[in-house]
Amino acid sequence: MKPEIRVKARVPIFFCTFCLVAVLTGAGLYADLQRGRYQAATLGQFSQAAPTAGVPDSQYGGAAYPLYPPHLEAGEGQAEVEGYCSMCHSTRYITMQPPLPAPAWEAEVTKMKKTFGATIPDAAASRIIQYLQAHYTPETRKQ
Amino acid sequence: MGTASAFAQEPGAEKALESFTGPGANPHWNSVGPYVSEPQKAPLLLLTDRPVQLETPRHYFSTAFTPNDAFYVRWHLDGIPNNVDLQDWKLQIEGNVSKPLTFSLPDLMQKFKAVSVAAVNQCSGNSRSRLQPRVAGGQWGNGAMGNALWTGVRLRELLDAAGVKPGSLQVQFQGLETGTGPKGMGSSRFLKSLDLTNPVLDECVVAYLMNGEPLPLLNGFPVRLVVPGYFATYWMKCLTWIRVLDTADENFWMKPGYRIPNTPRGNTTPEEVKAGTVNMVPIARMPVRSFLISPDGSSKIPAGMTVRLRGITFSGYGRVTHVEISDDGGKHWSAARLGEDHGAYSFRTWEAAWTAKSPGKYTLAVRAMDEKSNTQPDEPVWNPGGYLWNRIETQELIAGVAA
Repeated sequence: MKPEIRVKARVPIFFCTFCLVAVLTGAGLYADLQRGRYQAATLGQFSQAAPTAGVPDSQYGGAAYPLYPPHLEAGEGQAEVEGYCSMCHSTRYITMQPPLPAPAWEAEVTKMKKTFGATIPDAAASRIIQYLQAHYTPETRKQ
Repeated sequence: MGTASAFAQEPGAEKALESFTGPGANPHWNSVGPYVSEPQKAPLLLLTDRPVQLETPRHYFSTAFTPNDAFYVRWHLDGIPNNVDLQDWKLQIEGNVSKPLTFSLPDLMQKFKAVSVAAVNQCSGNSRSRLQPRVAGGQWGNGAMGNALWTGVRLRELLDAAGVKPGSLQVQFQGLETGTGPKGMGSSRFLKSLDLTNPVLDECVVAYLMNGEPLPLLNGFPVRLVVPGYFATYWMKCLTWIRVLDTADENFWMKPGYRIPNTPRGNTTPEEVKAGTVNMVPIARMPVRSFLISPDGSSKIPAGMTVRLRGITFSGYGRVTHVEISDDGGKHWSAARLGEDHGAYSFRTWEAAWTAKSPGKYTLAVRAMDEKSNTQPDEPVWNPGGYLWNRIETQELIAGVAA
């Protein structure tokens, strides 16, 4: 069914549109028609950048790179992880990884010590490996 | 629905993308991290914050050139320059050369002819999160790539000006990136080298413009090396030292870092790696790839409506000559129309009209072939570094009832 609209030249179009919607809604054709649905949201998770402060000198850049600390599972060895791993990189390097098998985590910590020269005492390295294996393997990792 | 939307993670979105770490393959086009804001950058997807690794969201690839502020970011060491003082900064050509030289930025801009090349910069580990079994490393989706028009000086002119001495083997590149590790280890400096006999050196550009603008610091201001066709590991950011070597560079980032099996597609297995039977060689050119960018599956398409499929393609081996699409999981293929040709190493857009004949689920697939007849296979690739992924991409689309 296509309702016909005849509009005289001088009749405002919005008035007729309003009449049409009212007629159709009343007729039940648009029974599902809903008003907009809204919910509260949080502003400021990240913001627009301010314009560069324009000093015409020879310095380019200047802003600090933001840190976004990840959620680390609480447990034995967490303090060693936060201390020693963070010497060179943020612990997001841990949480970004897929669940890795236990030997792979041991190999990673060994690589940090032997290949990259991280000064991690053996006792701390063992606790770091145990922590990673306790929380970040296919068997233990929470998504 | 909605999980694949480019903006599904923004505040107020109906449903944020759920975290997915594995051990299965990442099913999403991009990696799953949150949007973050970094200096000179549009909101990008966070992999890591220190050093900075950010992925470009899918929708930015609907054009051949990737905007500078959306261009992905990948650093290796946490000592990233926060600023560069151009009164101090000089590009240095040194090592096994007749006449060591230094150039300021105005020297580069005024003493040499400016050349431009459109070239794709793709991280060696782009799409690493697809591998099965998963491997450690940056868990990129498909967005660790970008294309720009790079303008600068030919590397060859700089080398010729300094005079490479006979007996030289490689040219090494070093930027302003530093790490806190002990001297001589990969945690202290990021260094990459190319053989002096490699013909790609004639195509390399030391670029001070990216899409006609200065490079964002996170992408390598004031100059970065452009190695057309090659993976980004060689494209040194904040390039400051060009060093001619008379011995082979065996620093961590050359060996064992960034090495691939010397096999077809760089494919191997965990068993072969464990057995130590794999011959590893430095990564080089990028295999051919193609992507469907839109529709991205975030919206239902009414059956019978003809929509425009759009995407990009590229190959590190030369021009892409054919892009084909399938909507039946790869049984039948039809040709897509290629967009403007910006050069052999650029993204090239493609498009095709597509109609869902009836309501239901469709698996769209896209594949490309380059001028050397390299094609995209439908088999996965696996190697311990998580490099060279170029399997045929698929996208599920849902057609709804139209009337």
